[in-house]
Amino acid sequence: MLTQRGFVVVFGGVLLLSSGFSYQNFYLTLLGIYLLVGLVVTLPLFALTANVAGIEVERTLDKTKVFSGDFVRVRVTIHNRSRRHFDFIEVWDQYPETWILAIGENFMASRIEPGSSITFSYILQVRMRGKYHIGPTEVIMRDRLGLHYYKRTLKAQTEILVYPTWKDVRRMEALGKQRQLGLMFGAHRTRVVGMGTDFAGFRVYVPGDAFRLIDWKTTAKRGKLVVKQFEMEKNIQIMCMVDTSGSMGNGYPENTKLEYAIRAAVLLTYMGLERKDLVGTCVFSDKVHSFVAPALSPSHMYDVLEALALAEPRGWSNFEAAVEYVTKQLNKRTLFIFLTDLEESPAPLLNAMKRVIANGHKAQVISPFGPWFEAPVGQFGPVERVLAEAVQEELWERRSKIARALARFGIDVVNVGPEDFLPVIIKQYNLAKQRGVALY
Amino acid sequence: MKTVTWILRILSTATFAYMCFIVYNQLRGYWDWNSPYVFIVTVYRILSLLLFYLVIIVAQGFEQLVGGGASSSLATALFNTIMLKFWYLQPYGGATPFTDIQQVFLYLNTQLGIIAMDLWDRTFTFLYFLFAGIGVAMFLQSLFRMEHKFVAGAFLSIQAIMIVAAFRGLPIYGQEPIATGFLGFLTSGLQILALVSFAYLEISYQMIYSYSVGKPVEDRQETLKKQLLALRAEVRKQDAIERGEKVAATSTSRLSGGATAFSFLREVIERKLLGSREALENLDAVSDIRRLNIYIDQLLASDPSARDELTARAAAPSSGYVIYSTVLGSIIRFLSVVALSYILVNPLILIELLNLPPGISYSVELQQPEMVVILLVPVLLLLAFIAAMIRWYSQWEEEALQRQIEAEEKRKAREKKREARRLRREARKRRKALERGPEEGEIDEWDRVLGELYQSEGSES
Repeated sequence: MLTQRGFVVVFGGVLLLSSGFSYQNFYLTLLGIYLLVGLVVTLPLFALTANVAGIEVERTLDKTKVFSGDFVRVRVTIHNRSRRHFDFIEVWDQYPETWILAIGENFMASRIEPGSSITFSYILQVRMRGKYHIGPTEVIMRDRLGLHYYKRTLKAQTEILVYPTWKDVRRMEALGKQRQLGLMFGAHRTRVVGMGTDFAGFRVYVPGDAFRLIDWKTTAKRGKLVVKQFEMEKNIQIMCMVDTSGSMGNGYPENTKLEYAIRAAVLLTYMGLERKDLVGTCVFSDKVHSFVAPALSPSHMYDVLEALALAEPRGWSNFEAAVEYVTKQLNKRTLFIFLTDLEESPAPLLNAMKRVIANGHKAQVISPFGPWFEAPVGQFGPVERVLAEAVQEELWERRSKIARALARFGIDVVNVGPEDFLPVIIKQYNLAKQRGVALY
Repeated sequence: MKTVTWILRILSTATFAYMCFIVYNQLRGYWDWNSPYVFIVTVYRILSLLLFYLVIIVAQGFEQLVGGGASSSLATALFNTIMLKFWYLQPYGGATPFTDIQQVFLYLNTQLGIIAMDLWDRTFTFLYFLFAGIGVAMFLQSLFRMEHKFVAGAFLSIQAIMIVAAFRGLPIYGQEPIATGFLGFLTSGLQILALVSFAYLEISYQMIYSYSVGKPVEDRQETLKKQLLALRAEVRKQDAIERGEKVAATSTSRLSGGATAFSFLREVIERKLLGSREALENLDAVSDIRRLNIYIDQLLASDPSARDELTARAAAPSSGYVIYSTVLGSIIRFLSVVALSYILVNPLILIELLNLPPGISYSVELQQPEMVVILLVPVLLLLAFIAAMIRWYSQWEEEALQRQIEAEEKRKAREKKREARRLRREARKRRKALERGPEEGEIDEWDRVLGELYQSEGSES
């Protein structure tokens, strides 16, 4: 392939040659020949040397599973396995568009001798969860004078799994240390009075109470029989149902309803593990994509992260199938927290909720309200604004109806926006702990 | 690499100077140093004449409109006094200022042909100077900016002087046919100029190569230095803010401006500035900077080769090899170009070799320069064809290798599956055997011995 410079040489050669013919000048003719012959005379030699089959690219990452927002070093080694040298080789290692090149460059240009290798590295900040590939690598070989080039794409790709961001957990930990900021965070233990060894208080004796529980000193003071009460700590079991239907993907990138739902699920799992509660996760849309049973094992967090990392907004929400699958897997009372935008037909949803309740579980819906995640009304023109408000009202009305229908089964629907999604999930978790919902 | 580049820079300058000197000598006697000034002044005056003529047309039209043709004397008086005296915009060529329009037109009628011819002559001399000026300017740019377009521009500008001179039919190289003997061909003035011109292109392109082959590594080092400095400065600034110290407001903008290549830090700073409505956004941005700083520190501490890999220092080519390959490559190219060109411009050699019939050998067409094209095109196409064939073969080889690798991978995968199946089968067998319980023959030797021992102890007691 001729480069732009090669074409300039062709132009110069033809200009001189045609000038030489026109004005019967042998000097111009000769120079024209020089340029044209000079352009192609080394072409076979270049074709012989620029054989990319001898070039191998090896890419190593310091981690193959990272959190969104973390840094990863990419090390690229180019080996020249052939017996030819490459005068000028340009290597472009491609990385996902949404990531940020933090330090270094993903490009290298140099010459490479036979049997030798070149190593360069760069550091990327990983953005947006999911499964990504680093690569392919584009290799451009030029001749010394830059007149010809061959371009090849080496397909070697390195897979990397990006977990959802860990920043909410970090943020929570950071703010937890600064209580004056008013974050609702703390150890809310679930206590069950009547059992255990921790002293809880006194109450008036009722027939049937064990005599050994009577506190005689207090009875003497009060003048009536008083018994001591004890309490014990209990833990709860939660199932986080993350809806990944297509509508959950609406909104700005990194700020879609699904992203917030995933962040909420990560936060919930982390808090649960911290307090020895069992938190499981189910990722579903028209089918169950992944299910991580509630557990306390050390690898549980990573199982949840992996399930959430691969979630993609597509399809529709089949609540019935998801609930049927999950209820079969669980044999203890569980609090189902649905993270869904409720934008599917209500009948299957109600059926699914009935099944949850009928199986003795509790449920709650934390629902991101679509218009709050999309373009702010302030950015619209007058007509669009009116239309957006009308649509918003209609959606709100529909949502109210669903909420009323679910309230009959004792299921609360909490509408959330991007600002309050995470605080609401923390609050609901703490409330569930305090009320002792779905103890095990 | 810098030394090699400097050597080639000096060689490029020498060849360019020599090329210019030969071209200058070719046109000796035609370099009238007053010509550029006279040409510019002439063009200016002709343009002024056009303007003058336009003004007269407009004024006469206006006069016809207002006076109906009655006040033509008044108009003439106005032209004479205002246009010619007050304005003093004189048309070309007159020795003294004109005071009457009629004088101007009369004068132009007689002089226009001479003016045009003079301008025509001076245009070419002006063009020589213009091309020379452009050539030198582009050459100087090529030395400092190291771009191919300047080299090509300088070369074509100087050759354009020869093209214009050939067009004018001046006595320059190339009017006589090229010598048929190889020695005569090599030592002719024409050949020397052509070789020097070609050498200038070759050496300048080599100079740019030697510059650009080492430049990416230098750039990487520089960029990394800037990035690390900017990162450290930002971290220090955040520390100072946390300690409650006052930090100069300009430091952020200075930092972001200084490290334009540092997209990460720029993005973080933008996030901080734009996301100031939310304290958490700011917290995240600061956290990102700190985490990157920690990551870099740990990386540099744990891996001694990390810095070299980030700068790709090891990728810098050795100067010795570049000099060696430059000299060798240039010699090969020079010799092959001269030899091929000699054959192309002397078709008689080929004709003798091919032993063509006398009707063709002695034809007049063979003496024409156009004959070159008949040979040149097939030769060029042949070389391109050979290159394409080699390329096709390499690609085929590469694809075959790829196929081989894929087949090998498939074979390994099959073997792995087979092995897994075998292991599963064995495991199933073992499981079944366990479920069945130990058979007579499968009781462990030690168990049997111990059992016998207990039995014998029991019977003794």
